This record gives sequence, C-alpha cells and structure tokens, in this order.
Amino acid sequence: MTAADRASGVFFVLFGLAMYFRVNPTYIETVDGGNLAPDTLPNVMALVIAACGALLVVKPSTHMMRSPRLIARAGLYSAVLAAGTFAMSHFGFEIAGPVLALAIMWLIGERRPLWLAGGVFVMPAATWFLVAQVLGRALP
Amino acid sequence: MVDLATILAGFGDAFTLYNLAFVLLGVTLGQMVGAVPGIGPIMAMAIAIPFTFGLDSLPAIAFLVGVNKGGLVGGAVPAVLMNTPGTPDAAATALDGHPLAKQGKPLKATKMALFSSITGDTFSDIVLITVSAPLAILALKMGPIEVAALMIFAFSILAGLIGNSLTKGVIAAAFGVLVASVGQDPEHYTPRLIFGYWDVFDGLPLPAVAIGMLAMSEILHRMPLAHGGVQSAIETNDTGNPDDRRVTWAEYWSCRFTLLRGATIGTILGAMPGIGSTAAAFMSYAMTKASSKEPETFGKGNIQGIAASESANSAVVGSNLIPLLTLGIPGSVGAALIISAFMIHGMQPGPLLFESQGRLVYGLFGAMIMANFVNLWVGQVGLRIWVKVVSAPESIIFASAILLCVVGVSMATSGLFGVAIMLIFAVLGYLMTSFGYSLVIFIIAFFLGPRFEKSIAQALALTNNDLTQVIYSPVALALLILSAVSVVWFLRKNAEAARAETA
Repeated sequence: MTAADRASGVFFVLFGLAMYFRVNPTYIETVDGGNLAPDTLPNVMALVIAACGALLVVKPSTHMMRSPRLIARAGLYSAVLAAGTFAMSHFGFEIAGPVLALAIMWLIGERRPLWLAGGVFVMPAATWFLVAQVLGRALP
Repeated sequence: MVDLATILAGFGDAFTLYNLAFVLLGVTLGQMVGAVPGIGPIMAMAIAIPFTFGLDSLPAIAFLVGVNKGGLVGGAVPAVLMNTPGTPDAAATALDGHPLAKQGKPLKATKMALFSSITGDTFSDIVLITVSAPLAILALKMGPIEVAALMIFAFSILAGLIGNSLTKGVIAAAFGVLVASVGQDPEHYTPRLIFGYWDVFDGLPLPAVAIGMLAMSEILHRMPLAHGGVQSAIETNDTGNPDDRRVTWAEYWSCRFTLLRGATIGTILGAMPGIGSTAAAFMSYAMTKASSKEPETFGKGNIQGIAASESANSAVVGSNLIPLLTLGIPGSVGAALIISAFMIHGMQPGPLLFESQGRLVYGLFGAMIMANFVNLWVGQVGLRIWVKVVSAPESIIFASAILLCVVGVSMATSGLFGVAIMLIFAVLGYLMTSFGYSLVIFIIAFFLGPRFEKSIAQALALTNNDLTQVIYSPVALALLILSAVSVVWFLRKNAEAARAETA
C-alpha cells in the first residue's frame, strides 16, 4: 500500500527535521573540545531519517499495512495495559495484576469460568510465589 | 590464545549438576513455549532474562541457552500437528511434517524434527567452538577505525537483507542508533535527550526496550486476532504400526546427506548477520528437493523435507554466536538478546572476551553441548505433553505473558518507570511492524549504537579528526567499499523486484 508508506515517510521527514532543528539543539548540551560533539551522531541520524523518509514518499514500497480495525483494537489493549500499570503504581501487583488479567482475558473473548479463574487467580498467584517467595524480589 | 587449562576449567564449571538443572529447566521451558504458536523462544528469552538476575553468570546463561535451543525444537510441534509453525523457522518443517501427521504418523514427524534439529545444532556448536577463538585473535588486530567500518558494513547488510525495502531498513537502523543516544554521551558524559527524566541518564534500559519491542509488541499484534477459542490440534488416526510412531536408524541414516547439507547451510548463514534461521530452513529445503530423485514426494510427507528444514534452522543457533563472541556484533534478535544477557551478567562480548573471560566462554560452550543432549532427552519424553500445550487457550497465554513481562521489567529496572518505557516501545514496535519497518534492525542498531559512537570518537582521536586517513587501513577501506557495493546491489535488487511486481 503506497499510501501507508507515504504516510510513514511524511512522519519520518517531520520527525527527523523536528529532531534536527528543535529537539536536539534544546535537549543536547553544547560542549567545547573533544573529538565527537554530543549532538553529532543524533544530528546525523536525524538527517538520515528525514532523507530516507523523503525517499519513501517519492518511491514507496508495496508493503501491505494491517487493517485499521486491528490497529484500533491493539490501541484498546494498549490503553488497558497503560491503565493496568497506572493502577499497579497505586494498588500494587497483588490487586491490579488479577484485574488486569481479567480485563485482557475478557477482551480477548474468554468466557469459560475455569480458564478465567486460572488466569485471574492461579497465574498471578504463581507469579507472586516465583518472584516474592522463590526469588525474594519485590513485586511492582 | 586461551590455554588448555582455561578450556578444561570452563568445561569443568559447566558440567555440574547445578548447571544441568538450569539447562534442563531452560530446555523444558523453551520446548513448551516454542510449542505455543506465536510465542516462540525469542519472546520466552526476553521474558526470562530479568528472572535470571539473581543467578550466577554461568547458570543464568546456561538457562537462557537452554530456552533458545529448546524453543527451536518445540516450534516444530505445532508446525507438524496444526500446520501453524510455533516459530517462523519451523514454517518449512510444516510443508512435509503436517502431511505426515495427517497420514497418522505425527510422532514419526515430530521425532524426525527432533533428531534433525539436534544434529544440526550439534554440528554448528562444534564449528563455533573450533573457529571462534582463532577468529577472536584476528579480531583483536582490529582498531576503532576497523570496528566502526565493520559496524557500518553490518548495518548495510542488515538493512538490505531484512524486509523488502532498503530505505525502511536504513530508517529502522538510524532510528535505533538515535534512540540509543538517549542518556549520556560517551565522550563528555553530559545528559542527552533525557527530557528531565534522570532515570534514563544511563540510557534507556535494554530489558524494557527489548521486552517491549520483541515480546509485548508481538502480544499486541496477536491479541486482536484472538477470539477466546482454542485452535485444536488435528485429529490423528493411529495406524497401529509401531514403525509409524518412531524413526528407525535406517530412516535417520538415509537422511545423512540431507542433514549434513542442512547443517552446513545453517552454520554458514547463521554466521552472517541478518540472514535468519527461516531463510536457512527454506534454502536447505529447496536444495534438498532440487537434488532429490523424487522431488514430487516433497510436500506430501517426505521425512527428508523435515530433516532439511530442521537441521538448517537449528544450525543457525550455534553459528549466530560466532560474530557475537568474536566481534561483539549480534547477527539476529536472538543473538542480541543473548548479548544483553551476557552484559547483565558481566560478560563483555568481543575479541577480548576470550582473553578476559575465557573460562566463562568455555563454560558457555559446555552448557551448549549439555543443552543439546538435554534437548534430545526432554524432546523424547515431552513431545506427547507439548501436544497438549498446543491446545492451551490464547487468552490465558497472553494474560500470563503480559503479567510476566510487567513483573520482569519491573524487577530489571527497579520500578514501574521501566514498565512505562516497555509499554511505549511495545506500541512503537507494533506501529513499526504495521508499517513494515524491521524491529530486528532497530534492536540490533539500538544495541550497537553506543559502541558505534565510541568507535567513531576513538577513530577521530587516532586520526586527528581527519577521517580521510581511513585509506591507510586496508581492512576498514575494504569494509566501507563492501558496504557501498552491498547498498547499490540491494537497491538494484529492490528495484528489480518492484518492476517484476508491477509487470
């Protein structure tokens, strides 16, 4: 799909130029002396990315992109994972872990009580046992 | 050169019951996870690395080597039973393995895959053990100019070989190096692109980036495709003939040339960066079919096809470590993960490794040999059990994998900040693969980025900031010319492929 390649090419042109003109000068310190300035490699890479992005806009490949529906569903799963991580920072793995597992299994379409119980209770408990009891490390 | 005492001490360190237990655990886990379609040894290794932090170097590396080797054997199980390869490497195995299973000989097919896999793997391990130390001595003669040129060559090969667009390959490589520059610059140690987050002053944590890109992005890809159901293994009718449940010595011996060819192809391709085990398996399969007197039987359950594919894809594992141990350059994602595990456990891969940590290297070789034997034994016992694993629902597999990724990264980075980075790279990885950018190139470039920058800085210091002096280094010059030639060649090849597609 040439449109997908052109879209990603435009993104990388903008990204490379933004890195070169705005981000790198602002977030990389200028240092006198030495053989290689701290911003040399990031600047070169930003320009390479922008140039290749432009090349992709001009000469796109025939890559077939994933369906937008699948990408949207992946976005939904990402949001659930982000929410689960946020919840973990407040309530800990012991509470947020099983809830996250339940949400994911439910979204996938699992409705069988036995498998749901396995994912929600057995797996987090096994993880807790392995990490906290066997390895002696703290859970998030 | 490593002396005999170091070699023997290394092997002596490896061959203990304690290490055997970790190899056994790793191989069992690898075979089991490899049998689950879509999970595979790479994801298993990525998840397992943080859990090895508390171990000594040798058992930890032995465990990870076991996971990697076991995963390749396990990958053949769903390929044979369901025509759904557990790993991409096993796709060629399905061509003959699945028809054989449908004829009522699933155990013969999986056992042939097991024996072929172990034959190929052992062959490449022997080559690795034999050639890596002499190659490391040669590599020691390389200075920073040659190392920088070698990395440019590796990037050009990787960008051209992986994926169908050189432009996208270069973008992925440049993006990887750019992301690797987050943290402190290697010469002045000033903060760079950290955006006020001092947690990343030492660079983005490798486990978070690797697990996010390799494991979580793949889970994000597969979850929307899952529907909560169970993809069932095929119904097989037992023929009642005991010979259909085993591989006889005569059958194995009849495949000896196929096995040797496959192992040789896998070993050669594995030693080159970028050409993975999938390419080796298909190349070996195609050559075996072309040289066969009965090519029409391929694809219909010919055990030669299984032998060709499995011996080649497993031979890649050992020889993948040749550039890793001698030059410090990973040629595949699996090797990049192994190198990150090495570094976490205090090994610095590269030509100095044999001098500074020769005993540990030969301990690793010992563990690899041990893993081959354990693979055979676990495979014989476990094949029937992994058939059940194939039938586990995707919902519980993905939920468990996500919890393990979160906990593993949290352990590796001492908190949820690393988990947030993992999620960012999971989404980034998902988008990159959606738009056809290679994660393999990105990860390898991310890994090599700091060393690449350091080599350039050292090369500039040695040449008084005059890079034209590269002409006085024949090796560096040859590598740079080869890089340019390979880029031109790949560009022409891509253009020809595009023309053929539009015609």
